[in-house]
Amino acid sequence: MEIIKYILGRIGRSIISLFLVLVIVFLLMRLLPVETYYGDRTDRLSETTKQAILKDLGLLDPIPVQFWNYLKGLARFDLGKSLTYYAGKPVWSIMAPKIGYSLRFGAASLVISFVLGISLGILMVRTKEKLPDRLGNGFIIFVDAVPSMVYYLAIQFIGTKLMSIGMLYKENNFTTWILPVLSLSLGSIASYAMWTRRYMMDQVNADYVKLARAKGLTDKQIMVKHVLRNAFTPMAQNLPSSIIFTISGSLYIESLYSIPGTGGLLINAIQAQDNTLVQMLVMFYAVLSVAGMLLGDLAMMVCDPRITFTKKGGAR
Amino acid sequence: MSKVMTKMNKMSDEELFKFIEFDSSRAESTAYSGYSYWKSTFKVFMSRRSTRLTLYFLILLLLFTLLQPYFPGQKSPTEIFINPETGRQLRSHPPGAEFWFGTNTIGQDLWARIWSGTRTTLLIAIVSVTSSTVIGIVIGALWGYVRALDRVFTEIYNVINNIPTTVLRMLITYVLRPSIGTLIFAMCLTNWVGMAKWIRNLIIIIRDREYNLASRCLGTPTRRVIVKNLLPQIVSVVMLDVALSIPGVIGSEVFLTYIGLGLPVETPSLGNLIDEGRRVMMNLSQTYQLVFPAVVVALITIAFYSLGNKFADASDPRNHV
Amino acid sequence: MEQQTKIEPEVILCVKDLVVKFSLRGQELTALRGVSMDLYRGESLAIVGESGSGKSVFCKSFIGMLDKNGWVESGEIWYGGTDIAKYEKSEDWIRLRGKEIAIVFQDPMTSLNPLQTVGVQIREALELHQGLRGVAAQEKVIEILSDVGILEPEKRVKDYPHQFSGGMRQRVVIAIAIACNPKILICDEPTTALDVTIQAQILELLKQLQHKYNLTIIYITHDLGVVANVADRVAVMYAGDIVEIGTCEEVFETPRHPYTWALLSSLPQLGVKGEPLYSIEGTPPNLFTEIYGDAFAPRNRYAMQIDLLERPPYFEISPTHKARTWLLDPRAPKVTPPNTSIATAIERNARHAREVKKVFGEKLVEIRNLSVHFGNSRKPFVAVNNVSFDIYKGETFGLVGESGSGKTTIGRAIVRINPPAKGEILYGGKRISGKIGKELDHAITQKIQMIFQDPMASLNERAKVDYIVSEGLINIHPELSKAEREDRVQCALRDVGLLPEFASRFPHEFSGGQRQRIGVARSLIMEPEFIIADEPISALDVSIRAQVLNLLSAMQQQRGLTYLFISHDLSVMRFIADRIAVIHKGVIVELSDTEELFAHPLHPYTRALLSAIPLPNPKSEKSKVLEVYDPAIHNYTVDKPSWVEIRPKHFIMCNEHECALYRKKLARENGEA
Repeated sequence: MEIIKYILGRIGRSIISLFLVLVIVFLLMRLLPVETYYGDRTDRLSETTKQAILKDLGLLDPIPVQFWNYLKGLARFDLGKSLTYYAGKPVWSIMAPKIGYSLRFGAASLVISFVLGISLGILMVRTKEKLPDRLGNGFIIFVDAVPSMVYYLAIQFIGTKLMSIGMLYKENNFTTWILPVLSLSLGSIASYAMWTRRYMMDQVNADYVKLARAKGLTDKQIMVKHVLRNAFTPMAQNLPSSIIFTISGSLYIESLYSIPGTGGLLINAIQAQDNTLVQMLVMFYAVLSVAGMLLGDLAMMVCDPRITFTKKGGAR
Repeated sequence: MSKVMTKMNKMSDEELFKFIEFDSSRAESTAYSGYSYWKSTFKVFMSRRSTRLTLYFLILLLLFTLLQPYFPGQKSPTEIFINPETGRQLRSHPPGAEFWFGTNTIGQDLWARIWSGTRTTLLIAIVSVTSSTVIGIVIGALWGYVRALDRVFTEIYNVINNIPTTVLRMLITYVLRPSIGTLIFAMCLTNWVGMAKWIRNLIIIIRDREYNLASRCLGTPTRRVIVKNLLPQIVSVVMLDVALSIPGVIGSEVFLTYIGLGLPVETPSLGNLIDEGRRVMMNLSQTYQLVFPAVVVALITIAFYSLGNKFADASDPRNHV
Repeated sequence: MEQQTKIEPEVILCVKDLVVKFSLRGQELTALRGVSMDLYRGESLAIVGESGSGKSVFCKSFIGMLDKNGWVESGEIWYGGTDIAKYEKSEDWIRLRGKEIAIVFQDPMTSLNPLQTVGVQIREALELHQGLRGVAAQEKVIEILSDVGILEPEKRVKDYPHQFSGGMRQRVVIAIAIACNPKILICDEPTTALDVTIQAQILELLKQLQHKYNLTIIYITHDLGVVANVADRVAVMYAGDIVEIGTCEEVFETPRHPYTWALLSSLPQLGVKGEPLYSIEGTPPNLFTEIYGDAFAPRNRYAMQIDLLERPPYFEISPTHKARTWLLDPRAPKVTPPNTSIATAIERNARHAREVKKVFGEKLVEIRNLSVHFGNSRKPFVAVNNVSFDIYKGETFGLVGESGSGKTTIGRAIVRINPPAKGEILYGGKRISGKIGKELDHAITQKIQMIFQDPMASLNERAKVDYIVSEGLINIHPELSKAEREDRVQCALRDVGLLPEFASRFPHEFSGGQRQRIGVARSLIMEPEFIIADEPISALDVSIRAQVLNLLSAMQQQRGLTYLFISHDLSVMRFIADRIAVIHKGVIVELSDTEELFAHPLHPYTRALLSAIPLPNPKSEKSKVLEVYDPAIHNYTVDKPSWVEIRPKHFIMCNEHECALYRKKLARENGEA
């Protein structure tokens, strides 16, 4: 019962977050100067046409009415029409076919980074303070510190120029997947590796590991049965940040490799100043990351028996 | 030891088995080490050669960036050079004695542009990180120290934390006009949240330690409790967060420029330079236009990042002698 | 002492001249300085010593579990015909760990894997060492769980560690050790993290298990009461060496090493009210430097010239009893050892109570129907429930209870850290709880001071002693000049027996006892009338406790202070408190004069507490009957309990039915007397 209550509460918080994002996005969009709605025809339009465009978009209504219409539209999945980039086309029909591409790439890189990141972390623990550990640390620092654009470009350059892998994405050509997925995974690999290493180190020094050793378990048994399993649990918490990593990464990478996904679309929409399209894509990404956060918390709940679902009124 | 032995041999049994006077200072003696937290932190921090080198390198780099225009023989970052032979712009002139890092696609000196860009980017990074740190500390301190506010702030945090910062920054810069101010504002608005959370967690841990309760029993005013008891514990975390946020902000600037929300091309910044370089990188003879700014960005960010980590290690009292 | 030499006992483990060193940031620390010891099959040996004496390191070396920076420098450890000190590979140790020698660690809260059910963790040991699989293993798990006293083992097998209380977790840890089927069980401070009543139960359990499973047990402890309870033989460790070893009776009744004398006579249980406790001055030696002669010599009142020059050998007193001290050398002058008999102390205390009737003045603190809640208002956790009592000027009022009883919360409510939910607190007749005026606030901040439990946590690590001690002064007397303030700090430091030059140092330079004295100086400089001492000695080593207790008593006599002394330890209370209130789960169940409480404890909880305190007296400890308190014995559904003065100045929480029983009991006891 308490589990259900907890889950409902957690979902409720996600919904509030989403609503707040909705409001923020709406308000920010109202801050945009009206000129951005005329497209590139600004100077040629007469004052009356300009007014007509604004009226048509509902921008002349009082703000609360606009907000109400905006909510109504969202509820009916009517996400508005593209202004410039695909002028007149409903936003949903632009987005829908692209979501599949982005999800496929995102999912592929999440799986790859999880596997590679954790393996790297374990390798680093096993070779603590020896060469592989040091190299791993160097890698983590590099990936974490340096702007991702720099190594994305480096990968693209090395891959296409020196290894002659096709640069532009082709759906049926598997090799064109390699570079974008690799780029997309690097950030998460580094973060998984770092946390795996840190959590495992914490566990190695824990009292219960000492007890396990005193029990007569070999180091290998301790590693597998206790340390690894326990280091995994807090990893569930890193799932959301990994999803967010992947989302931000996909923005660059899809346009770098001309993948027809939503990330590339957002950049094109921004460059074309397509307000409605930008608004909806931002909402889309917010939904994704809110869902990621939710997923992380729920995963944590499944993995860790200690999480209690009643708020403790406990000691100070 | 031998000295002791000879002394013993000289003494008679009677002397050896005589009671000696009890000396309370001998019993109370502790090894005095003259330890001070900050001195030790500094000593541990500076004890590693690689850390020292990184630190000197970063200081030199920052000084050079600041003073570069005043060195002799420096060119203007915005001047378009003309090829005297053709009378046209000196486009993509390879690096050489005249143009150390070559020129870009419209004939500007890349060397001068890189340092000018570094100044801009560091300005954005340092100003936005400093101000968001101040905001973060104030809000985090309130959040952690005032019990009544905890619930409210936590809920607000949970909501804000759900929105990816990249998307938020993008939206803010999209709505506002691209300028240095806009970028600083956007970074600042998204950066303080993490800082506040850090500070809050720390203060919650420290707040109920007995020495703070003692201060309350002694009637110490809250302001002095914060200054004397809380802040010294927080400084190292703040330093770490600042050092790690700077690479983050630089990365964001590069990203925003790439998607077309960065500074106008007239103002060189590291983001701009990388973006310019990206456009021509596939042309092998012009790849240098990406490599030079990319290397500078990488050096700066890695230096900040690793120094921050080293400082955090050094400020952990467990690592002190 | 003759009987135990009749059958030559079999040596199961033999240690010879063991030297263990650690490297700590470039410095070398000698943790064990050539220790020798025999362990006999089937016995329980207690190794007693203060923190840093090397007792834990000693036992860890038997199973090759020294910390990574430690190593056996020289010496031998013989077990089953092999010298295990020569083991280098971890495979060698694996054959020994668990199967031959198992260990129970101090902190049950962290000793279990939080993500595995207790069943799985016990089973792991069974599979490893007894080769049991499947149903057989599962049955054995349940059998062992019921052996260690866990109710409904079939159900609890599937529970996770966090679903058990501290005492129950320690039972699970013991179950794991038992599941390994070892010959030797090392218990490293097995009850230190537990409440007194739980501690007594765990010790009882270990004794039963020893019998059932034919175990040889080594107890590592700092608590002489525990030693008296469980040990056949006792080894006293000081500064990395065993200074005295003998049977329990020998060590407690005829100790021969001056450190053992000092340790025993500084016990609060042996103190007599109104007289200072025997105390060992100073702090244990620094093991980073090489020690010449007898390590205890600098703190030894019977030190001789030779103690500074040469390390004493063992002198045999009886076949089972030996000590390392030059005092046993035939050439040494004869010394009468101090009286360390607890019976004498108890008798003298009772006499003192009869003869010296302390007369107390007016009420200083009045607590009226105090309740304190934590958590949110919808589902509050009631930490203190409707508590009332008075504290008189000049007395020491003891508040005794186990962890979570709310005793600390009451103290903190008085200094206004925890606001009361209901009720009020009066000081000198004025209400000080709730909203009060600025002037009164200022006045009571100065008059009421607090001393905290943990000397490590109660001093600001980043401030110098000078600031720490003068902190209150700056608030109360901002008009003082810097020089005047420094003067008072120096004076306060001298008052608590510290050197004035300590003012310019940081707290981490000091030992626990010194730090606690800095905490006392910080309170005294305010010139308070009333001090709340919240477990001021429970985090300190035995030899240091007496220093702090003496200091507190001396200050009370010199300055007429009133104390609220909070502790879990009734035996300390007997020495220091004039009246005692016993608190259980936020409710005070009994309150009376100290001697009256010890003579006629009425409430079943008080009786349980009293029976659980381990006394440093092997005779009474080994024959004592443990009383267990079960709140279910009260039937309060119809007949509600109230606060009854059952005899003049003896209050108890009971209903009418119980009250009648208590009265009868009192009458009977008085009749006997």
